[in-house]
Amino acid sequence: MPETRLLFRHIDEPGLSSIDVYRKLGGYRTLDKAFKELEPEEVLAELENSGLRGRGGAGFSMGKKGSFLPRGEMEKYLCCNADESEPGAFKDRELMTKNPHQLIEGCAIAALAVDATYAFIFIRGEYWEVADILDRAVAEAYEAGYLGRNILGTGKRVELVVHRGAGAYICGEETALLDALEGKRGNPRLKPPFPAIQGLYGGPTLINNVETLSNVPHIVRNGADWYRRFGTEESTGTKVVSVSGHVERPGNYEIELGISSREIIYGLAGGPLEGRRVKAWFPGGSSAPVLTEDDLDLPYTFEALAKAGSMLGSGSIIVADETVSIPELALRTARFYHHESCGKCTPCREGTNWTVKMLERVVNGMGTPMDLDIISSVQENIIGHCLCVLGDSMAMPVGSMVQKFRGEFEAALEGVRVAA
Amino acid sequence: MSADRQQITLVVDGVEVEASEGAMLVDAAKGGDVEIPVFCYEPKLGPPVGACRMCLVEVEGIPKLQTACSTPVRDGMVVYTQTERVREAQESVVEFLLVNHPLDCPVCDKGGECPLQDIAMGWGPGRSRFTDPKRHFRKPVPLSPLVRIDRERCILCYRCVRFSQEVAEDEQLQLLERGAASYVGTYDDRPYIAPFHGNVIELCPVGALTSEAYRFRARPWDIEDAGSICTLCPSQCNVKFTVRDERVARVLARDNAEVDDGWLCDKGRFGFQMVSSAERIAEPRVAGSPADWATAVRTAAARLRDAGASTAAIVGGQATNEEGYLVQRILRRALGSQHVDSRPGGRLHAELAIGLSQPELSAPVRALDEAEAVLVVGCDPLHAMPILDLRLRKAIRRSGTRVVVASERPTALDGGAEEAARYAPGEAGAFLAALSRELASDAMPIEDDPHRADAEQIAGELRPGSTVIVWGERIGHGADGQRALEALLSCARALRCEDPAGGLIEVPDDANGRGLREVGCLPRLGPGLAETDEGMDIAEIREALTSGELDAVVLFEVDPVRELPDGPAWREALRTARTVIAVSMFDNGSTEYADVVLPAEAYAEKEGTVTHPDGRVQRLRATVPHFGDVRLGWHWLVELSALLGEETGIDSVLETLEALAAEVPFYAGLTHDEIGGRGVRWQERDAAAAFPASAGDGAASPEADSTKAVSDGIDREVLAEASGEPAPPPPAGANGALRLGTYRDLWATEVTDRNPALRFLGPRQTLELAVSDGERLGLADGDEVEVRSNGTSVRARVDLRERMRPGAAFLIEGTAADNANALAAARTVEVARIGPEAE
Amino acid sequence: MTELRPTDEMTAAEREALIASMRPEDAEGVPELHEVEVPDELREQIEAAMSRYPQLRSAAIPALWALQRYHGWCSPEGIRQAAAVMGVTPAYLEALATFYDLFRTTPAGRHQVLVCHNISCWLRGADDLTRAFCEAAGVGAHEADHDGASSEDGEIFIKGFECLGACDIAPMASIDQRYYGPLDGDDAVAAIKQLRTGAEVLPGKALAGRPTAGGPEPEADPREAEMEGA
Repeated sequence: MPETRLLFRHIDEPGLSSIDVYRKLGGYRTLDKAFKELEPEEVLAELENSGLRGRGGAGFSMGKKGSFLPRGEMEKYLCCNADESEPGAFKDRELMTKNPHQLIEGCAIAALAVDATYAFIFIRGEYWEVADILDRAVAEAYEAGYLGRNILGTGKRVELVVHRGAGAYICGEETALLDALEGKRGNPRLKPPFPAIQGLYGGPTLINNVETLSNVPHIVRNGADWYRRFGTEESTGTKVVSVSGHVERPGNYEIELGISSREIIYGLAGGPLEGRRVKAWFPGGSSAPVLTEDDLDLPYTFEALAKAGSMLGSGSIIVADETVSIPELALRTARFYHHESCGKCTPCREGTNWTVKMLERVVNGMGTPMDLDIISSVQENIIGHCLCVLGDSMAMPVGSMVQKFRGEFEAALEGVRVAA
Repeated sequence: MSADRQQITLVVDGVEVEASEGAMLVDAAKGGDVEIPVFCYEPKLGPPVGACRMCLVEVEGIPKLQTACSTPVRDGMVVYTQTERVREAQESVVEFLLVNHPLDCPVCDKGGECPLQDIAMGWGPGRSRFTDPKRHFRKPVPLSPLVRIDRERCILCYRCVRFSQEVAEDEQLQLLERGAASYVGTYDDRPYIAPFHGNVIELCPVGALTSEAYRFRARPWDIEDAGSICTLCPSQCNVKFTVRDERVARVLARDNAEVDDGWLCDKGRFGFQMVSSAERIAEPRVAGSPADWATAVRTAAARLRDAGASTAAIVGGQATNEEGYLVQRILRRALGSQHVDSRPGGRLHAELAIGLSQPELSAPVRALDEAEAVLVVGCDPLHAMPILDLRLRKAIRRSGTRVVVASERPTALDGGAEEAARYAPGEAGAFLAALSRELASDAMPIEDDPHRADAEQIAGELRPGSTVIVWGERIGHGADGQRALEALLSCARALRCEDPAGGLIEVPDDANGRGLREVGCLPRLGPGLAETDEGMDIAEIREALTSGELDAVVLFEVDPVRELPDGPAWREALRTARTVIAVSMFDNGSTEYADVVLPAEAYAEKEGTVTHPDGRVQRLRATVPHFGDVRLGWHWLVELSALLGEETGIDSVLETLEALAAEVPFYAGLTHDEIGGRGVRWQERDAAAAFPASAGDGAASPEADSTKAVSDGIDREVLAEASGEPAPPPPAGANGALRLGTYRDLWATEVTDRNPALRFLGPRQTLELAVSDGERLGLADGDEVEVRSNGTSVRARVDLRERMRPGAAFLIEGTAADNANALAAARTVEVARIGPEAE
Repeated sequence: MTELRPTDEMTAAEREALIASMRPEDAEGVPELHEVEVPDELREQIEAAMSRYPQLRSAAIPALWALQRYHGWCSPEGIRQAAAVMGVTPAYLEALATFYDLFRTTPAGRHQVLVCHNISCWLRGADDLTRAFCEAAGVGAHEADHDGASSEDGEIFIKGFECLGACDIAPMASIDQRYYGPLDGDDAVAAIKQLRTGAEVLPGKALAGRPTAGGPEPEADPREAEMEGA
């Protein structure tokens, strides 16, 4: 099955990142229509009816989230989460690099829908080149009257600011993103209040991922019914999937949810490297519990993956073949979350720290059989007890590795003891 | 505050509990005698943050465990705090917290009063499975000269940094680095020195932040806590003295939301060392030689009898209501003298004293939390009444209150204020007059009034019916003082300060300034602000002592040479005076001239009452035995009165209160029981109706004062003459002249000098100038200068400041050396550089 | 300022001397602009950032970026300059600078090489790549992989970094804020040499311009054809 390209349509068209080429291919016509002809409620209704689910990982209905924002005089905000930092995820980078105006158009229309004057694209600081591209595109859009105080003479105002982060995975968590955007350390906030009620600067705020917002022009232009023809009943539209690790053709592929995982890994990404086999794979970024070769025929949907004990998350598949030591993979995974834990809540801060110490011992041959039980128990003590999902994001994959590959962990202990 | 909240019922561990709707579960559960452990939760710091995760509980209908600190209760909510799931979660949090916490409890100063210790015992797993090395820091290091930090013990609960960011807003103390590597620190390893920073010691739930002054001085089982009031400033915070071996070893907050919100400034927290200072005057002295009390009091009586009506008395702000009452009673009844004063700032007209203290105009501190707008005029609360600074920050931060400032000198609140207007030193009256014109619906603004633009801006922020005016007593000082107070009263009327959500809060010059006025320590007003015959104010007393018109002066806990205007002239006056009787804790520039010195009680030794600036009568309790041969103040005053032929019949401190309450109609019937531990605002008692009526609506009429008639147009000549001041100088800034303003710095006080822990904070004399004036005069930060006026000069170091009004120059009153009280405020000064750069 | 060392190891006299050395004026509140020399260029950049946001503190991270560009790292001096322009305490900015990985709080080499060592790159040989970069630049690999390390000539700063969001070109590195991959040991040697000589870095290995993995545009889906104007 080939890709279904909606967002990736014309993706390698030379000059697509410029406003001229984007417009030549039909770009900004939807913005024109939305600002001149549609009421915010109509736009919001279309988005809600389309069934578009957030593409950042949680999969919550985008239109519904928008409808949670109170109406009224207070200042409201739109934030585009472009802090893509989940290991294995790189789809937003390609969307922004190659088609920045699609996102800008989506942001402007979404801002109109929720009556936000200020919109921000919070892009991770590592994506410096991409942010430069966005800055240029935003300047072009201002120049052309698609952004600013008086959009296309309608008297409606949307200001769009590209805000560069500075290196913290946690800022992908929406409330940490808000703190970071307010100029603070990116610590997650207690919810409730949810950002839709009390977000940026205390005002109602809609936060959506790059891919989600890039869908907006297509939906508003062609209608919710049209959009629902793609994908499945529960997960409409297309999804850009990032595939990486031990595959022949790592990269981004735009698919319809519902195709089998094998199709993505083997069909699109070319399967494992020559002569190797899939040993373990993360179906939804490094936060997802790992699956094995036995799970390759699962349909790639939110529901099927959840049922199999994992998750689709941001739609990032990482494949590890049989050359990989799972205890080392677990350590690599745990180190990442330990490094990225903001430190605000106890179980995440101390749990990630402790887990790394134990895994290092296991990998270095200093572990004891008791460590494996303690590792598992510590993961259980993290899950569900933290302020945000970061702690769980380590505990779930690490727990799954110890559980599914326990023999390999035990061998690591044994092997090294024998060697010593 | 819970009165208007609906009462609901929830079930905690099978027990029905009543609570106000919206209360946090952790608080509501206490009603069912269920304790839910917490570390980061501290409502004083603002909304809960849910960081430590210690308070996880099960709420029926919610799949995930919830933090009880951040879960508002609803009617019918069913909560479990003892299930296996909850127990496991809580045990795991304790285990996680102990991963990096050293087990050094036996040598930890927090041992025995440590929440982590208690919670680990009560809710922990009793063992740790963590066998790897813990994290290490250099320890303990000084965070400031007053606080030490042991970062290994820190459990990263965020309380101290939240205090720094969200309560004190000094933002010096921060979490640095990230995750498990996070630690509490400052920019570039600088010390954390800010006026409220000692609060972090009390907030710390472990032994990470400890008090330099208390470390290893005591263990919890050999101390007792005793509640009283701190009278080191008008904030009158409620405190607990930690007493060990009959000495004060520590001061802690005794949370009273009506007064202090549970915070203390560092002066209050560390100022206790002077109570047991070896420098204290331990016994009476007569003519410079030690004497027993009987001799000393008899000698004093004899000298005062000789002086008779030619005696004056000045009562300092540390005095209790009882002491102030007795001093004025001795003067008035036993000696027939009306020359009693407690105000450094000159005469207060009866109509204004009464008009500005009208009960319906008086706002409680709590009104600041709810007012739409607050006007801070003529004071910087940080220096004059520090805890009010925190209260106003809280109002801005949590209630969105619009605070506006109008002052001579930049204030600490300027940053958070909607507007901050600067008027020239001595021009409070002119500014307030302009403001009252802006606020009055019918008055015509004066076109060329230089204050008009600022006044208009400020007026635009204020809301009639919901504005509290916080005003510094200092606006009433000097030549322009009366006009300032009249205009203030007009503003208060125009803003309908008599409405429930509005009002006035005066920031008095001295700790018990309000109480002393109300019990009669004023030259023309006796107890209850009842009019008496004319007496001399402080400046007049000084002149009369110098000229010989007065023979004797009683200095009750006041050091005029340091604390009152024109210190050098006071020196002269005391030298000339025939009799000086000084009551003092320490030897100072004034006791030098005393014929009889009587040792004063320290605030921790006193029994009696004081009156908070908002009218709350609070009770001081003796918490430690007297130092040396110090005696009860009220007691020897009663003896002295008797020796002078005026038998009081008073035999206890309670009887003193009864006697004064009998003469102060609006204190009628006050008892210690009624005052209790939290105090009582007299305005909220029935007796408040007995407060003297205001002379008239609107501004008090100065014409009523026949001896000092001042026309509505304000006759400056008369006023100036009356107050012994020359006519106001030309406008500030004219011809590049600098006009001097003076202020009391928080630390320019004897308290700083007498407490070893605080000494490092004692300020050197500093000349503050606007940056533009510095450039114009070729002066830079740190330059040494001489500030001269009328042949007198003081040395100072230059500090250029933004937000200063050009043309104004500020010096500190009350410094140990180079005291600005040698120079008269609001005069033109010259500045000359000294040192090698001058050549 | 005296160096802070554990007070319990000191004599009483040393402790007193230490405390006496902490003066109130050493505490750093909000510096006033006239007390701090701020380069015009830096001040303009920070003020421009402040004007872009509804609330000025949102400009804190842009301000740190600006001062890091100007000074090469977030030096205490630079932080104080930015604090004076923004009207915040330097401590507030330092708390941010130490939180975010891309801000350097110690002096670092002029060129920045961030080598991704997260899962996908590790699977494809990131550890070897890091070693190759370090060997070529002459810095310790272990040190570089953890806290980052600079070459002695001050030219090259290498740091092992968490996922940079370019797993499609694993193993990869961000060199002076541009992405390159997939890289091998030879590329590392070449890149370091190019950085030192000022030549173009790894022509042909830059991520920019790389086509999408799925190749050329597939046949249009009949459902897509209904798209207006498509």
